Amino acid sequence: MDSDPLLPVPISYIAGSYFLFSIDAVTYLRREHHICGVLSGTLPQIPQQNVFLGLPLKLMPEEARLLVEKGVACIVDEVKAQKEGMRALREADRQKYLRELESQGAHAMRLQTSRKEQQREEALRKVEAKKAAAAAAAAKKTTANVGSGEEQPASAHPDDAADEQNNQNQTSRRASTTSNSTTSVIAAPYGTTMGITPATSHPPLPYAPSAAQRLPAPAVPASYPLFARLHADGYYLSPGLRFGCQYLAYPGDPLRFHSHFLVVAADWDEELDLMAVVAGGRLGTGVKKGFLIGGAEQVDDADSVRTFSVEWAGM
Amino acid sequence: MTSPILPSALTTLISSFTRETSPSSNPSPTHKPTQHQTLSANPQTTALTLQVLHNLQHQQLWTSLQIHELHSGPSAAAADTTDQTQKTHLISGIPPHRLYTHPDEQFYLLERGLREEDLELERMFVLPTVQGQTWSLRRLAGVFDALPEGQDTEGLEGEEGEERAGNVGMENENSNSGSGSSKADNLKEYYEYRKQARMTKEWGGKRMLLAMVDRQMGGDSTVVYYVVQDGAVKPRQN
Repeated sequence: MDSDPLLPVPISYIAGSYFLFSIDAVTYLRREHHICGVLSGTLPQIPQQNVFLGLPLKLMPEEARLLVEKGVACIVDEVKAQKEGMRALREADRQKYLRELESQGAHAMRLQTSRKEQQREEALRKVEAKKAAAAAAAAKKTTANVGSGEEQPASAHPDDAADEQNNQNQTSRRASTTSNSTTSVIAAPYGTTMGITPATSHPPLPYAPSAAQRLPAPAVPASYPLFARLHADGYYLSPGLRFGCQYLAYPGDPLRFHSHFLVVAADWDEELDLMAVVAGGRLGTGVKKGFLIGGAEQVDDADSVRTFSVEWAGM
Repeated sequence: MTSPILPSALTTLISSFTRETSPSSNPSPTHKPTQHQTLSANPQTTALTLQVLHNLQHQQLWTSLQIHELHSGPSAAAADTTDQTQKTHLISGIPPHRLYTHPDEQFYLLERGLREEDLELERMFVLPTVQGQTWSLRRLAGVFDALPEGQDTEGLEGEEGEERAGNVGMENENSNSGSGSSKADNLKEYYEYRKQARMTKEWGGKRMLLAMVDRQMGGDSTVVYYVVQDGAVKPRQN
């Protein structure tokens, strides 16, 4: 898998939000830069779906800003890029792209059919094995009965065996008919292709945006220095609304770790309501997390950020 | 709310009462009267500080309590030019049992078969606050900067030493009854390592308790305590 995308990764700015459409970019940024974002794509048929979401990945402005400052990504005015890209697209390119899609679809179809084939063979082998085992058991039983010389059960047995044989024949026949039908069904779509919907638009459109399509670094809330500092300290940050805070700080990948902190940012001279600190401390302790409050001493300087963690003292 | 309020009549009564009948359970009774004289005599000590002090002394059963006046650092002074009269007081004392153990420290103790009861009790600082008081990160940082490094105060060194000596004596008695010689070694090892951990902040940096008094909205004079630590210190898993 060629999973490392070309840098800088284009982040699409659409209607006030920052999105990533390429799965390679998403995995790369998560793996190398601890940026998780939030998956936000639903199935077209189930727009109210709220679990198991897929691409595109939505980034917080802080995440987008951080990536831009690191030089890993750039912000693209996606609407403009799409319009200009489509206008610049020539007929030959279009045809080529369509052919490309078709061949991808055919490839996907081939993969699917071959997998189905494999599964079918697997299933048949299992049936075969079961049949053989049953036959062997029946044979053993009859020989054993004959050996012991018990008349009545022995007389009953051949019927059973015959029934079994019938059953087996039927099942095998059924299996063969179903397999026949499936093969005939599968055979039909050979040559046809699956409909492919690529997540990204940069096979026909250029990958790197032109200078006119680039946007400046995203505007970020005042909590950005704290975000940058925690990120630099190796924490994975995600939006914290679910836990009643600004960010959730995970000590490692959120798939592997529980979060350590409920993070709330404040300006250096901002008046803190002590009740909010107590509430945060209590809430955090209740879910086995710390409540972390912090801010930058010098404005917009991540190095001057100081943080304080609060936990219930238990007395 | 933050202006220095003189001790109420009740507060004065309580403090004078406890001074007369100082409990004998205190490990260093000689210190006690002097402390309380300073407490009640100093008009700068706010009612809030005394309320928290009393809660610590009588409800939480802390010992060797002291009040410290905070000399606000240059950063804090710059911000609080408007209310120069406002002084921050800190209370320090020794809790009846260990209040906070860093998760890694706990692991270290478990590995060596040590229990929290085996360790000497440590002096902790308490910051009295009242609901409705406004704080800022600057002020909080100022308080933390004023805290002594490694939780040890120079002025309290002698007392701390006494405390340590007393505890060690107890441990020796314990170890005579059981197979505790290895335990004493473990303890020594632990104290050595703790010194190191304090330098590297492996088990967290400076910490103190934030005491908040409920005085508004039909305040029932509840005092709640929160452990506040400097820096991102991973939470306990209790």
